[in-house]
Amino acid sequence: MRYEDVELGDDLPETEPDVSMARVLQFCGSAKMNFPRFNDHEAARKEGLPGAIVPGIMSQGLLASMIHHWAPGARIVKLDTVFRTPIVVDTHPRCVGAITDTDDEQRRVEVDLTIMNDAGNTSVLGTALVELD
Amino acid sequence: MANAESNVDNNVEGQNVEGQNADGQNAEGPSAEGPSAEGPVDIDAVKRDWVGHKFDSTQFRVHGDRMLAWAEACGETDPRFTDADHPDFQAHPTYTAQFGAKQLFPKGFPKLGRGGFDAGKAVEVHQPVHAGETLTGESEIHDIYTKTGRSGTMIFIVHRMTFSNEAGEPVSTVDWRIMRSAKD
Repeated sequence: MRYEDVELGDDLPETEPDVSMARVLQFCGSAKMNFPRFNDHEAARKEGLPGAIVPGIMSQGLLASMIHHWAPGARIVKLDTVFRTPIVVDTHPRCVGAITDTDDEQRRVEVDLTIMNDAGNTSVLGTALVELD
Repeated sequence: MANAESNVDNNVEGQNVEGQNADGQNAEGPSAEGPSAEGPVDIDAVKRDWVGHKFDSTQFRVHGDRMLAWAEACGETDPRFTDADHPDFQAHPTYTAQFGAKQLFPKGFPKLGRGGFDAGKAVEVHQPVHAGETLTGESEIHDIYTKTGRSGTMIFIVHRMTFSNEAGEPVSTVDWRIMRSAKD
């Protein structure tokens, strides 16, 4: 994906990230975050959560991957995420995004990003600044 | 300066530096903060006194196997992040968001509001992070502000960590927004 190929308002291809327990365990292992609220549905419910939840920083990583899937080789300059409601492990969230600004001089685009839960509610909001070839 | 290996395990979302954690978890607990202020807190005064205050420096080792596991777990497909033999192999852009300081707030920082939620993180990438590097994260209070909504006034404290590599070059800046209820 080159800068010339994109236009303001373009949608990024929607993704359905894998937030199965196996993936979350892998993430927690990589970040040394092995805590019951992330890896044990029952223990998480005892904490008042709807079930084990996806770490916020993993959801941020899912959005970064979505950008690279859309534009392999792109450089993420900044990724800002707001954690609104937890994403429950073993559910089926969806990631969507759209280009909201462009910068011809720096060949950068601003992308608004959202992760929605099974019910279609917003779990994570993000804004990324991405540099393209 | 703390040991690099041991502090790799200091991640913010499960770490219990001061009882804080993330993703909607309660952040009450032992703290370096001072006693609760009596009466309404003057946020502007706290901001004047503390924004820009640097208070922690911690080192973190970057492990290639964890970089790979992180990228794979996040569904990454770009070989720069998933292939250790790629000539431009590097950590996923937000990899440094896992690294937490030894303390969330400076000693003597006033206790603002109650509870505590991880309201979000912003990661700015200055240059790629590579396997085997040891990063130094410097912490400061970057901002303090309030927002009022249906559930009342919330206080936001932004803990900024600026990461640099062994050459002293900045590689990443992570802003962690911690939200607390202004209600007593």
